[in-house]
This record gives sequence, C-alpha cells and structure tokens, in this order.
Amino acid sequence: MLRGVDLVVGAGERVLVFGPSGSGKSTLLQVLSGSIPHSVNATLDGTVRIGDSVTEASPVVDRSPIIGAVGQDPSAGVCLPQVDAELALVLENAAVPPAEIHGRVLTALRTAGATALAGCATAELSGGELQRVALAAAVVAHPAVLLLDEPTSMLDARGVHAVRQAVDAAVRETRPAVVLVEHRLDEFAGDAGVSGLPERAVAIGDDGTVLMDGPTADVLSANAATLHALGCWLPLDTELQAVTGLAGRLADGTFDAFLESCIPVRTDDGPATEDAARPLAAPLLTASALSVGHRSSPVVGNVDLAMHAGEIVAVLGANGAGKSTVLRTLAGLLRPLAGRVDGERPGLVFQNPEHQFIAGTVERELVHGLDARDVQRLEVARTLARHRLSPLAHRHPHQLSGGEKRRLSLAAMLAHGRSVLLADEPTFGLDRRDTAAVADVLRETAAGGRAVLFASHDLRVVAALADRVIVIADGGVLYDGDLLTALRRPDLLEAAGVHPSRLLRWFAGRCETAWQLREAVAAVDRARVSS
Amino acid sequence: MNAAFARTVSDSPLARRNPSVKLLLMLVVSVAVMFVLDPVTPSVLFLVAFAATAIGARMPVASLARSLAPFLLFAFSVFVVNVLTRPGEVLWQAGMLRVTSEGILVGLALAGRTMLTGLLAVAFLSSTDGVALVNSLHQQARLNVRVAYAILAGYRMLQDLGTEWTTIRQAQLVRCPLGRTGRPTARLRRLLASVFALLVGSIRRGERVAHTLELRGLGRTPRTVWQPVPLGRADVWFAIVVLVTLAAILAAAGASGVLRGPGALF
Repeated sequence: MLRGVDLVVGAGERVLVFGPSGSGKSTLLQVLSGSIPHSVNATLDGTVRIGDSVTEASPVVDRSPIIGAVGQDPSAGVCLPQVDAELALVLENAAVPPAEIHGRVLTALRTAGATALAGCATAELSGGELQRVALAAAVVAHPAVLLLDEPTSMLDARGVHAVRQAVDAAVRETRPAVVLVEHRLDEFAGDAGVSGLPERAVAIGDDGTVLMDGPTADVLSANAATLHALGCWLPLDTELQAVTGLAGRLADGTFDAFLESCIPVRTDDGPATEDAARPLAAPLLTASALSVGHRSSPVVGNVDLAMHAGEIVAVLGANGAGKSTVLRTLAGLLRPLAGRVDGERPGLVFQNPEHQFIAGTVERELVHGLDARDVQRLEVARTLARHRLSPLAHRHPHQLSGGEKRRLSLAAMLAHGRSVLLADEPTFGLDRRDTAAVADVLRETAAGGRAVLFASHDLRVVAALADRVIVIADGGVLYDGDLLTALRRPDLLEAAGVHPSRLLRWFAGRCETAWQLREAVAAVDRARVSS
Repeated sequence: MNAAFARTVSDSPLARRNPSVKLLLMLVVSVAVMFVLDPVTPSVLFLVAFAATAIGARMPVASLARSLAPFLLFAFSVFVVNVLTRPGEVLWQAGMLRVTSEGILVGLALAGRTMLTGLLAVAFLSSTDGVALVNSLHQQARLNVRVAYAILAGYRMLQDLGTEWTTIRQAQLVRCPLGRTGRPTARLRRLLASVFALLVGSIRRGERVAHTLELRGLGRTPRTVWQPVPLGRADVWFAIVVLVTLAAILAAAGASGVLRGPGALF
C-alpha cells in the first residue's frame, strides 16, 4: 500500500495528507493509530515513534493516552447510547478523578460546538452531530496527536461547515499535532481556498510513495498537473492551474480567460438540448399529489412531478429532508401515503452500493434478475468493459473499491433497461475520475431516451448534469426549475443545505441561460491537464 | 427488538435501586417459578409483581398492561399448545383434537409463568439505565470492563439494525424479477443475500467500533468511574422484601395445598 514513507511531525504541527483513491492515505493513519499491524492483517516494515513511549509494537490501547482520532463513519465513531457517557469513558479510562469529569466533558462539548447535545441519546443524532461528539471525545483528554480521517466525507454542506468549525476550534484550544487525511480538498478548503487547509501538506502518489512534503501551497502548486491527472479533487485554484498551466487565483482574474472560453455562445436556433422541445414528449413517470413518509409523520407532501425521455433531474435537499423516501416511493418500494405514481417500473441505485449486491461475483451481479434473452442482449463482456469492470469479473462485489462498487451497482441496474433511472447520491465518496465516469453514464442514459432523476449534495455534479433541479425542504417541493435561477436565490440554497462553490458562483454571474451554465461546468470537468 | 432500555429513565423508587441487585432478584424469581406448575401460584405472584411495578416504577397501569401485550401473545400460544398436546383426562375430543384437564392446568401454569417473567423484564428494562447497568455489573458483579462496554456498543448497533435491514431488503428488491402476479420471486435467495449483506456491514462496523473503543483507552488500568452506581442499605432492604414476599407466597401456596411442582407434568 504505502512504500518508503518518512514523516516527522512536530508538536502542535498540522499536516494534510492527500492523494488519489487507493494511494494509502488512510493506511498511514491506521499505522499511526496502531490498527496496523495490531487489528488489521498487514505487514509493517520500518519504525513508528509517537511521543516518548509509543513504537510500532505498542498495541492500540497503549497509544490511547497520546492519540485522539475521528474517522469517516459517524455511526462507528460514537459507541455508547449516551453522549456524556461517551466522553466520560475516555476520562475514566485515563483515571481522571471523578469530580473533574463532568466539567471536562462539558468543556470538550463546548469546544466542538455540541454543548446542547450533552444529555442526548446518541441514536437520535444526525451525522454532523455525531461527528462533533466523536471530535469532542477525541480531544477531551487533550491528546498530543489528533488523527482525522476524512471527518466530513459523509455529511451535507451544513454538516461539513459545522464539523470544520469544530475541528478548527478544537485544534486552537487543545493544540495537538494534527494529521488530516482528506480527499474532497475542494469542499474541505471551502471559500478560503488553499489558505483554509493545514499549513503543511504531504502528497502521496498512486504508487504509495510520497510525491512531495512541504508547505501546502507549494505542494499543491508543484503537483497540480500530476494530482489532477490522477483524478484527485483539488482546491479550485489548484485545479484551474492544472488545466490552464497558469499559477494564480480565481479572485485575481488569472483564470477568467479560460473560464470565459468554457461558456458556449448562446445561439438562437438553439441546440436540441435547450429546453424548447422537451415538454412535448410524453412523460415516462409522473407523480401526482404524492405524499410520502410514515403514516404518523408524512415526510414530504404534495409532490407533483413528471419525467420525460432524455431528461436529467436533480433532487436537492438537506440531510433528513426526505429525498431518499421520495426516491423509494417513486421506485414503488414504499407505498405512497396519498397520491399516485404512474409509469413503468423504474430502476433505483441506492446510496450504498453494498446494500444492492446479491451475487457472489461481479459478472453474476451484473446479470442478476435478468432472463436469458436479456443476458444475450446485454453482451456481458462488452458491458463489463464499458464500465471498466472486465478485470474484476470474477471478484466478489464486496471486495471492490468504492468507485468500482459504484460502477457495478449502476451497470447492474442499467442492465435492466428500465425507462427511468433513479439514483440516490450516485457520486457520493468518489474521486474526481469516478465522479466523471458516473456523470458520463448518467448523461448517456438520458441521451439514449431514458429519464434520470438523482438526489445529490454535490452541486458541481448537479450543475454539470441536470436539466432541472427540484428542491425538497420543509415537507414539500420548494422549487422545480433550472439551476441558474436557483443559484440566484440564497433562501433556496440555504433550504437545500447546499453551498455553491466559487466556481459555480463565478459562472452564475456570467451565464445568461441554464444551458450555458451546464455546458460551462461540464467543460471545466472535461478539461485535461495542459502540457 | 422491542425490548429496549428506556431512553430516559424517569425517577422512581425502583429506578433508584442498584441494577445488579434488580437483575439478580429477577433471576431468582424467574428460576423459583420454573419449579411451580400450578396455575394459582404464578397468578398470585404476577398480581403482586404487577402492583409492585406500577407503584415502584411509577408506571401507569394502562401503559404497563400495553407493554405486556407481546408476552400475552406468547403466553396464549404456550397455553394452546399444552391444552391440545398434553395427555391426561380427556374433557373434549373432536378427531385429532382433544383437550385434557392436565393440559389446561399445566398450560395455565406455564402461561402464568411467561407473563410473570415478561412483567419482570418490563419492570427491569423500564427502570434501568443501560450505562448504569453496565457500570454496576462491572463494579458489583466484577464483569470485565471490556466485556461490559462491548455490550453497550452492541446495544447501540442494534438500535440501527432495523433501518439497515429495511434498506437492504428494498435495495435488493429493485432488480428482482416480478412473477405473473406482479409479486417478487426468488424470495429465499434474496433473503440469504440480505442476511449476508447485513452481516458484512455489521461485522465491518463492529471492527471500527472496537477500534474506536480501544483508542478511547478501554482496558487501561487503573481507571476511575465517573458516576459510581451506589449499592446501599435500601438495596439490601429491597432484596429482603422481595425474597420474603416470594417465600411467603410459596409457603402459603404450599400450606393451602395449591402449590404443585414438576410432578404435575407426569
């Protein structure tokens, strides 16, 4: 996984570790926390020293006085039924006098912006709240080292913002050395750009060796092209540097010429993609006066929507707004509380691909549920190749990487040739390369005369794909129209729990039509490294 | 999965008793009634325990009765099985079906025992905080601290298991071929695949949770306890009252000739 890594982190120093999927970023943290080699079966050569006492031979428990950690999965970072017990456990294990525990628990929760959660049952918390509790538990004993493994990767914009602030505050107040592994550098950096990241960065290449170790701005700048080609998400300025070859910032106008060139000229005879022709086609799926949820508490009411051939629709909404419930009701998996859904049986791709896997190999997974005629029509070998799954044909679906699982779950659903494809967060957790691959598949599906509806938090994917966006909030459909108009309404964005990146805001200020916006974002996505 | 610790345990005399003492008494009473096979004694014990729970745990009679509904169903099926299968003096017969007086008596006894055990479980769970129980088992019953917290973490995972199962079932239904009636086919295969997916997910999460607990320093010595669970004089009196009441009822049943032991089975 990792090879020849030398890393020295001083007290109180903050280090960002990043690299393409599968480069071993998380493996490095596992080595530091001791799960490698003590819990995970892996060989470790070389030495590890943390503080005065911890070596590579120290079991995980012996490292606990020095290390605090927050991982990706909110449900695995908080282990006990009650919030205060979760934090107290750390102090009890550290033999802190009982009289001090209550005060220190409250202080840590305040640092993590989670004071209000002190008396809560953990089962009732959202992902963002759980991550803040996990963070509070990680710093409550003031460890010398804080390990953060993509702590915001499973959260919506609101959760990302809250957890980011909590991390900043916790680091400011407890002054640990921080090792942060992150792959959504574009989102984690936020509007602050490169200056919103830790001051030192270590870039890891796809062969598991260190590409460069140094000040973050220098590392990003020097490796922009390499990292872009490897499919990493990069802060906007770095990404634009990679594709233009120019060093600078969006704010100082360096990239204006390139971005202007991405906006297509508005033509009056209009390409077929401009909205005029579409509403004439008969809808493939309609929902009328649909109400979804549980009998005692309807989640979303009064949904009216129609999906037409060739159309891509994005559903936006904060965590818990009911996007998944709407999708499952449209797919016929949940009975509507009121209203009706008309149309052929749609396909649905779930957020976690593993939930869908049934067969023992990739190949059999692809043809699951198909009859002999369908299998013949599908041309299995060609389909596998098209989704870059051929070398994996005989592997178990659960053994694949995140991106491979996603491609398989999409391919297996598309194999059924349903006229409507529904997808729940289809690009969740993917690197830029796999995100682009999924976007291409959805685009081709719509171009082939089917309709696509997907729920997403990732505004950039939505911008590059969707003909139309639907915002679900406050128990109903708040908006149904084009993204450009939505981007100009802060109230809608707030309700949808999304935060448009600087790139989208730049384009929104300069595009006249929604079609221009979509093509412009897609053009930036397609842009390759300039040599 | 309905049996769950109360989210927030409201204060009551029963809630203030030591969890390990309550657990022990529950076991003693349950074991004692295992040797009682007449219908009257368990019924008396049930009524006394019902009143004690309603007062001691400050539970409204209606909600206490409601929480016993699942046990009632189970008790009823135990009764029916005994009535129809136990040999003895035949009261009524129609073809293969026959009812014996021994069946009715033993059936009522077992049904009463089921209801009593159910009641004790409800009383225990609704008056006991999960974390306090585990702490108490660790302090007073010398349960290993790692085992104790593994139980709590497992309990927390259990809370999410229902949602996870529903999602997996739905996700696998999407590509399932529909039969002529429009209903999904290949049920057994999908059921097995769902169980497998649930297992894989749970094992992975379990590993991550175990790692988190280790990094929190679980298993280090020495350790302190934030909120020690008290074991006091009131707990001793509580145990004495429960045991004396149990003994008195059993003795009275024995003296009046109502009490019957396992001999009733033969």
